[in-house]
Amino acid sequence: MDIIGISINHKTASVEKREVLHLSVPETIDFIQLLKKELVDEGLIISTCNRTEIFGIAKDEKSNYKHIVDLLTAFKKKSAIESGDYVPYFSCSAVKHLFKVAAGIDSQIIGDSQILGQVREAFQLSDDLNFSGALMHKLKDFTMRVGKRSVTETRIGEGAVTVSFAAVKVIEKIFADFHSKKALIIGAGETGELAAVHLKDKEIGELFIANRTKERADALAEKLSGKVLDFEKIQERLHEFDIVISATSSEDFILSFDDVKSASSKRKRSPMVIMDIAVPRDVDPKAKKLDGIFYNDIDSLNIIVEQNLKKREREIPLIENIIMEEMIGFFRWYNTLDIVPTIKEFRDFFEEIRRDEFEKVKHKLHDHEMEKIENMTKRLIGRVLHNPTMKLKNLSEKGTNYEQVKHYSAILRELFLPNNKNDEFKEE
Amino acid sequence: MNNAIHILSVATTVFYFITFLLYLNNFFKERKAFETIKRTFLFFTLVIHIVYLVERSVYFDHLPITTPFEIFSLLAFAIAFIYFLIEIMTDIKGTGVFILLFAFIFQTKSALFSADKFNVSSVLNNYPLGSHVITAILGLTGMSIAFAYSLMYFLLYKNIKSNKFSTIFNRLPNLEILEKLSFYSITIGLFLLTVSIIIGFIWLPSAFKDFSYFDPKILSTMMTWLIYAALIILKLSGSLSGKRFSFYSMIAFVVSIALIMSSAMFKSSFHDFLT
Repeated sequence: MDIIGISINHKTASVEKREVLHLSVPETIDFIQLLKKELVDEGLIISTCNRTEIFGIAKDEKSNYKHIVDLLTAFKKKSAIESGDYVPYFSCSAVKHLFKVAAGIDSQIIGDSQILGQVREAFQLSDDLNFSGALMHKLKDFTMRVGKRSVTETRIGEGAVTVSFAAVKVIEKIFADFHSKKALIIGAGETGELAAVHLKDKEIGELFIANRTKERADALAEKLSGKVLDFEKIQERLHEFDIVISATSSEDFILSFDDVKSASSKRKRSPMVIMDIAVPRDVDPKAKKLDGIFYNDIDSLNIIVEQNLKKREREIPLIENIIMEEMIGFFRWYNTLDIVPTIKEFRDFFEEIRRDEFEKVKHKLHDHEMEKIENMTKRLIGRVLHNPTMKLKNLSEKGTNYEQVKHYSAILRELFLPNNKNDEFKEE
Repeated sequence: MNNAIHILSVATTVFYFITFLLYLNNFFKERKAFETIKRTFLFFTLVIHIVYLVERSVYFDHLPITTPFEIFSLLAFAIAFIYFLIEIMTDIKGTGVFILLFAFIFQTKSALFSADKFNVSSVLNNYPLGSHVITAILGLTGMSIAFAYSLMYFLLYKNIKSNKFSTIFNRLPNLEILEKLSFYSITIGLFLLTVSIIIGFIWLPSAFKDFSYFDPKILSTMMTWLIYAALIILKLSGSLSGKRFSFYSMIAFVVSIALIMSSAMFKSSFHDFLT
């Protein structure tokens, strides 16, 4: 009973390849049925835009990661998976990798907060499809604990690591209260929308959207319960806004130095934040010289992003310690899985011998002797088996040497347990 | 000096120094466990300081307000105590190092130069003087704290404008909060200074035969009052805000301290009992 798996992620495969091999939820459901039928009893599939992870407990010892690759290739049909497109995992390494994924240290953006939710959903899907047994349930508990501990015990999730979020973080260093502030988003594209969503999350007082194509501004304003400002009136009404985030694809400045200067004067130099996250820039950078104007372009915001990514990287050793602690816990439990049936069989075998021998002498005993002899034989077997049973249990609970546990277990079976049921109790 | 008082004086100064170092360390190396330790240490520093002030008052049989250096110690206590309350109420932790530096400087100066004074004139040992001096000290404390917050505003402002995003950026609260804290400190400081001036105007003419409204200390205090009152009016009217408010708040503090210190040079003042 071993965990096998493959990981196709941003480190191993190009975005085109990842797109082809991505499994949507309906595809994941179908593929799980296929895996159950062909290869594994229980398992897990995590498929996001950056990774497709497939793990399972092999049905037999012959099954390995190559079979998962073959099955996925056959399922997807579109593209052959080359050896460099994935990383194979087995047993310990599979668990460690899964823990790393849940902790966010295997993500493209270190400390990605979304991945833990995606891992939880993947475990839930396995549960719903009866694709998880005792092992997967336990693995889920440990994986989720690694994810939670990483967030609470380290700073892996702290700091802005996207430009639009970094912009909001800078604004937070200028204004304390977003409720009373008025913001203008220039450009209703993807970046503008992301910035608008961040401001909405911070409960901005009033949100205005301005876009050359008014329909797009209307759509975004409706989506975020904002208002629309005519693109032509931006300069005229600029002074009304405390926060301006610009993210258009314009080739020229939308706001000149004079526009900003005039707005600043009308505001009596009361602080105004301008976040220019467009390339090329939308606002004349000379504006940052004005008193009360806080101007940041994409390069300055990237400084924050890089600083925070470096800080997160410094947290990786702490996360690895957490992973190691949880792996010890998991394998302490996992190693007992092989030992438990062995110990049971071992005890059952001796109990059968005891009963068999007792039956042979039973008719020679008086009633009052029978009970004493039976108790004595039970005690005898108990004492004989106590030491090996305890040693095996202790060894497995240490969780540090799975191979040794397997080895001892095999020796025990080889020396004491009959290979063939017909051989049992035959006196030589 | 009594041994116990001497030991307490040194211990208080050492505790302020350690507290300052703890806040400084935590400013640069943010560690959650350290935050409780530094706050606890500040609490014990305040307790030791109270014990020192009480012991001194009992031993010398007068409030510690008879010399400028005794007043420095009281000022250090007021700064640290008000900051302690601000930290607990607002949970803003990154500003302590800037404020406690003042407390440490005042306490050090007090410990180094404080002299024993058993016999003080009766005028220095009564309640109106105690109220007059203590409210004046608390008023100055408010202004000192406002100066510290304005300085922090200025540093953070420069940090953001120059895109440095250093420890200052990461550890200080936002500009709006710093501006508010500075404004509130000035308002409270001015209120207490007003109370001190009113007590002074009521009590001083009856206590001193040579009382004069043109006394240098009264004039410098009135100038300080006018400067801060103007600052508050300009802020409330919206004419002064953000960086300019912080800048003028710092200027006001520097000018006020210069005025108060220069007025102390006039020996002819009836106020010169505090020398």
